[in-house]
Amino acid sequence: MKFVYLFFLCFALAAAGNAQVNAEASAGMQNELDAVARVGSVMVDGDLCRRIVTPRAKHYMFATDPRDPWLAGDNYDVDDASFNAVKKTLIRLSHLASFPADVNLWMPIEGHPGKIQIVVRNKNEMSQFWTWGALYQDMFPPMETVLKTGQRVTVTNKPGWISVLAPVYNSLGDVVGLIEAVSRVKTDAHENVK
Amino acid sequence: MTALREVFGEAKYRVRQNMLMRRLRFGILFFPLFIVTQGLQGAALEALPEFLRPDPFGGIVAADQSGIALRSVLYNAHRQVGLTGWRGGYASFQLVVKAPGPSRYTLVVTIADPTHKVKTDLFREWFHFVEADKQYYPDALIPAVSPYSSSLPEPDNRIPQQTAQAFWVDIFIPADATPGVLTGKAELAGGGKSVTLPLRLAVLSPQIPADDVVTIDHNSYGSSWLAEQFGNSMVCEPGHGFKCDEMFALIHAYHRIFYEHRGIFHQLGYGHAGKVAPEFAPVLEGSGRTKHIADWSLYDRHYGPLFDGSAFASSRRGPRSIPFVYLPINPEWPASYEFWGEPGYEAEFVNVVSEMERHFREKGWTHTNFEVFFNHKKRYQGFPWDGDEVRFPKDLDYFIEYGRLLKKALPPDSPVHFVFRADVSWDMEQQFKILEGIVNLWCCSGGILSFYRDAPKTLRERGDIVWYYGGPPSVTETSSTITEFPLRAWLWGVNGFVHWLTVSPGEDPWFHFDGGGTALVYSGKRFGISEPIPGIRLKIQRNCLQDLALIDSFKARKPLDSLKREVARNYNNSTLDDWWNPRPALADLPSDQWLGSAIDDAMQHTQRALKHPEAPAWYHVHQYALSLAVEAK
Repeated sequence: MKFVYLFFLCFALAAAGNAQVNAEASAGMQNELDAVARVGSVMVDGDLCRRIVTPRAKHYMFATDPRDPWLAGDNYDVDDASFNAVKKTLIRLSHLASFPADVNLWMPIEGHPGKIQIVVRNKNEMSQFWTWGALYQDMFPPMETVLKTGQRVTVTNKPGWISVLAPVYNSLGDVVGLIEAVSRVKTDAHENVK
Repeated sequence: MTALREVFGEAKYRVRQNMLMRRLRFGILFFPLFIVTQGLQGAALEALPEFLRPDPFGGIVAADQSGIALRSVLYNAHRQVGLTGWRGGYASFQLVVKAPGPSRYTLVVTIADPTHKVKTDLFREWFHFVEADKQYYPDALIPAVSPYSSSLPEPDNRIPQQTAQAFWVDIFIPADATPGVLTGKAELAGGGKSVTLPLRLAVLSPQIPADDVVTIDHNSYGSSWLAEQFGNSMVCEPGHGFKCDEMFALIHAYHRIFYEHRGIFHQLGYGHAGKVAPEFAPVLEGSGRTKHIADWSLYDRHYGPLFDGSAFASSRRGPRSIPFVYLPINPEWPASYEFWGEPGYEAEFVNVVSEMERHFREKGWTHTNFEVFFNHKKRYQGFPWDGDEVRFPKDLDYFIEYGRLLKKALPPDSPVHFVFRADVSWDMEQQFKILEGIVNLWCCSGGILSFYRDAPKTLRERGDIVWYYGGPPSVTETSSTITEFPLRAWLWGVNGFVHWLTVSPGEDPWFHFDGGGTALVYSGKRFGISEPIPGIRLKIQRNCLQDLALIDSFKARKPLDSLKREVARNYNNSTLDDWWNPRPALADLPSDQWLGSAIDDAMQHTQRALKHPEAPAWYHVHQYALSLAVEAK
């Protein structure tokens, strides 16, 4: 009986210790991601971001054809020069973190309030918001806050995930999109590779 | 169970569980006594050809009713079950145990071969309940050992009022077996009674060529699908991915099951934004000019036995290197996309790919085609160009650049076979021209390739490999449907066919099956087997490949076109022209102006001309192959 008690005591202490380590790690990561997002707001060029998705892709994004379920995806196209320039900036921003992190670009869709799309993803394939394969999604309240207020917002809704959302500005000073600096307390090497 | 727990609370739930278990043990003790007393009154044993899939109530599944007239085709005038097989392959049939009421039984299947070379494999057929049409279909094959004892209804399949249990019998005839006739029997016993079916196996002299005329690929993505089906125990060393030997043993088992069934297996190791799973790539270190491979150990543990063939040492087909493998190369590996278009990208790509070539050469891995393949699509937002199914011609510039980088990385006289693969649809006709000398493995949309009748010949004459792709048919289709893919490949003169996904049977294939449109094998875990188990469709496909290889081998005696014409006629009364569509007007438009629905319209000729294969379609081709063998004799 004593052995069982000791075993559970040790297990509970280890679990509590682990939780504390995780909480500390999480807080540290949150600070770093916030710094990444803050720098990202300065570095990412909103005018360039707006040129990534082509007019054709936007035209078909909400089009439907009962005979062609892949109409939107098959017509999805980007301006590769703008895409590459922004993606390179996002990759460099992710290097500011001392742990594996991604910086994704999200843009609202003109003419479709209440919708938002991920426009650039990166090599760890992490996002707290993206549904695999979705071309666009319903606007997430924290993203709406960023777009409306220009404030950075930290989101930790999914256990183990940390995202810091930060505004992207164009040359007029308008918030035209946002970046998601994201990581996980414990990465999954195999998620999405399927 | 969760509901019970919520209603009664945890403690009461446990008490109820204990009571239930006691009742269950009591039941288990007395249940066999009860059913033994039922004996085998009215029991029967029926032999069925492979193309007629039985249901669990003594009938034939609705999809295969078109072959019902051939139900007794295996029986000869003496009520013997007559089987015919080529050397170097399998002859297959089914046995159905029937009893009108609950019964225990034992089934014995034997073929008396004095040389002990001919082997008999017995499998119990699992009846899957398909949600879409609320019907049962047999597919997963659970290895069984003869004599096999069980009861009807089969306890684990849990089918109310089940009166029939089916078995798949594979008879393996090695290449060095002596031609002639072997006899055997299938015996059903229970309750002091028995039923015997005499078996007569004619081993024919022709040998099935070891190499197939059509490569059938079974594709998959990553390893997590495999691991999930075998439970978390397969995922070891948390935080470091799949590093354990058990995981690699499982991956090798997947390769082995497809190889045993005359197919190949592909696992793509990276995602649409370039994430590479650790078991699919060597570890990289450094950046720019210092980027290099730091550790091959995990990669070599995964692939070494596949490249040197030792993973297949226990196979009946003998050890052989896998003929094709995806490399982890993508726009983000080995070079960082951060440097795309800059000297750093070229340095990272060229240096690491050169190291890979050297490593493969030093290991002697020269019998495998290492595929540089870009699977990403821009709609998944990782990269700004389509690697898979290019639609926009501007994207081809990226292929041209990678072609240049590859040429720079690889010695021209390397014995290691690197191939540049492109999966093509919309723009294939242009790509065949623009990417000549760059891409040399083409995996084509079957529908669109059907517009370009001359393409396979043109591509193969310049040394390229041509496959087309599609997906496995559901179990609700006729049994012969799976044979249409290899047949089409052979008739078209292409090298192979790719099933895009074959290892994902859904969340509950056993009692709530989605039809198996993405699965040809299943996890054996439910039956205490730590490897995948085959399905009936995989067996039928294998037997089709055997016949195709054999028929093709007769081209020295008969023109290949004449063989193809006869096969098409026997299969579904079609002509060779019926398998192609006329080149449509839309083919002259730039591919970015095509509409998906217009492509469907352009395929109407084949849709009208080709009858959907009836259940015995391949049986008729097999009979034609037999006639060729007789002629040759």
